[in-house]
Amino acid sequence: MQAERILAETVREAGDRIRAALAMRFRDLDMAEEAFAFASLRAVETWSRDGPPRDPAAWLYAVGRRRAFDLGRRATVRADAVHDAPEPEPDPETILMAAFEPIPDERLRLIFVCCHPALAPEARIALTLRTLYGLSVERIARAWLTSEVAMLQRLTRAKRKIRDAGIRFEIPGPDAWPERLDAVLATLEIAYAQAYEDAAGAGDAADLAAETLRLSGLLVELAPAEPEVLGLAALIRLTEARRPARLDETGAMMPLSEQDMGLWDRRLIGEAMALLRRAAELGRSGPYQLMAAIHGVHATRLETGFTAWTHVVALYDALLAVRPSPIAAVNRAVALAEAQGPDAGLAALSAIEGPERLAAWLPYQAARAGLFAKASRGAEAAEALRAALALHPAPAERLFLERRLAALAQ
Amino acid sequence: MQFLLIIYSDEGLQDQAVMQEITAAHMRLGAELQESGAMVGGNRLRPSDTATTIRTTGGVQSLHDGPYAETREQLGGYYLVEAPDLDAAVAWGKKIPGGPNYAIEVRPIWPLG
Repeated sequence: MQAERILAETVREAGDRIRAALAMRFRDLDMAEEAFAFASLRAVETWSRDGPPRDPAAWLYAVGRRRAFDLGRRATVRADAVHDAPEPEPDPETILMAAFEPIPDERLRLIFVCCHPALAPEARIALTLRTLYGLSVERIARAWLTSEVAMLQRLTRAKRKIRDAGIRFEIPGPDAWPERLDAVLATLEIAYAQAYEDAAGAGDAADLAAETLRLSGLLVELAPAEPEVLGLAALIRLTEARRPARLDETGAMMPLSEQDMGLWDRRLIGEAMALLRRAAELGRSGPYQLMAAIHGVHATRLETGFTAWTHVVALYDALLAVRPSPIAAVNRAVALAEAQGPDAGLAALSAIEGPERLAAWLPYQAARAGLFAKASRGAEAAEALRAALALHPAPAERLFLERRLAALAQ
Repeated sequence: MQFLLIIYSDEGLQDQAVMQEITAAHMRLGAELQESGAMVGGNRLRPSDTATTIRTTGGVQSLHDGPYAETREQLGGYYLVEAPDLDAAVAWGKKIPGGPNYAIEVRPIWPLG
């Protein structure tokens, strides 16, 4: 029992580091996974019998390494694997007595491998969560609403591509760095968006959100001089801080302006603001910092009691200049309505390009409904709400929209 | 390791001046590849209407007039390069000229033996 507890603790604290070190040493994600699983299994047996080792993490790494060598002898090891002189043949238990080599920190390299832009975006985060955090395929599949078999195939294909397509187990050079870093950040952003999608966030998605939050923090630790890394970590923290206030007691979505700020996580907000200040000192702005800054303005309501909407509009203008997107344009229109009145907001909304396609887009109809209601144009608001409801909103959002529609009818 | 950089472009679209410009850019890229030691080989292919496809179905072979796949963009040529990894191969692939719309497929060579 005690052995299992110590193992769980060690894996929680050092598992990602050990997995990454094994993967990098053998340049083989499958082998690292298998070696780590083997070491964990042996740990429970050995530690229950002989008592836990002095340094459980080093023990796991040493036994995993030993196992990978054995596996490697059977299979053909990649040509670029690190070939040490063959180690003597001690059984794993005696290794723990030998001098431990410190576990090298290879996590950043592993993240860059798993988030290579040549891999499909949906495969990247699954691969990262699997190889770095050891999340089970079943758990990842649940978060992506796909079958375990399909997820396993996706992971297998990605690992095979890494092995055969010449994806190198190295930190990218300066030429490739911006593109590769973008791919890492985009991967984390997609993972978090996936977790955020389900507003209830009670089950698997909340789990995934916590992992993504952790991963973004790790990235800050590993690449502290990249302002966009800090920006994304701040963005995720600010969004996550409001999770407890996103639903009311009936399970309906609560719009930001009506949320109970007492439920916001002040610790996360504080962390995010500190990250944003550090990012600003580095003097290179970017979309993640801008998005985080927008959320930062909202969070400031906690201190000041009001939202500086003109500031929000200006930040959306800056964001649209560097990374145009329909969602940012819609959100800008909503902010503009707060700053200058609903007519300005509605004008901005109708100025967004491609209205034919927007009509079938839920956030657009929801925003229209809100602005029409604000302008006391009830009939049009109701029409927009009905259009939004026809677009298959998630349960929490459906409840919210239905309630708005009922309120208009009164 | 070696990578095949396969060029897919719309062979119907280009006018003479554009073609000349692209050809000149290919010459420059070829020289750069030679100089860096990355060039293993490469060729421009005649248009896909000169292609003949040998198809084997149930062990029976037959000839067809035309390329294997009728696509919007056609296989027009390739480079075979030596590169340390995918990132380096992609960097070469990005330098291949071809006008405003075209695609380069990067495929690792399966080494023999």
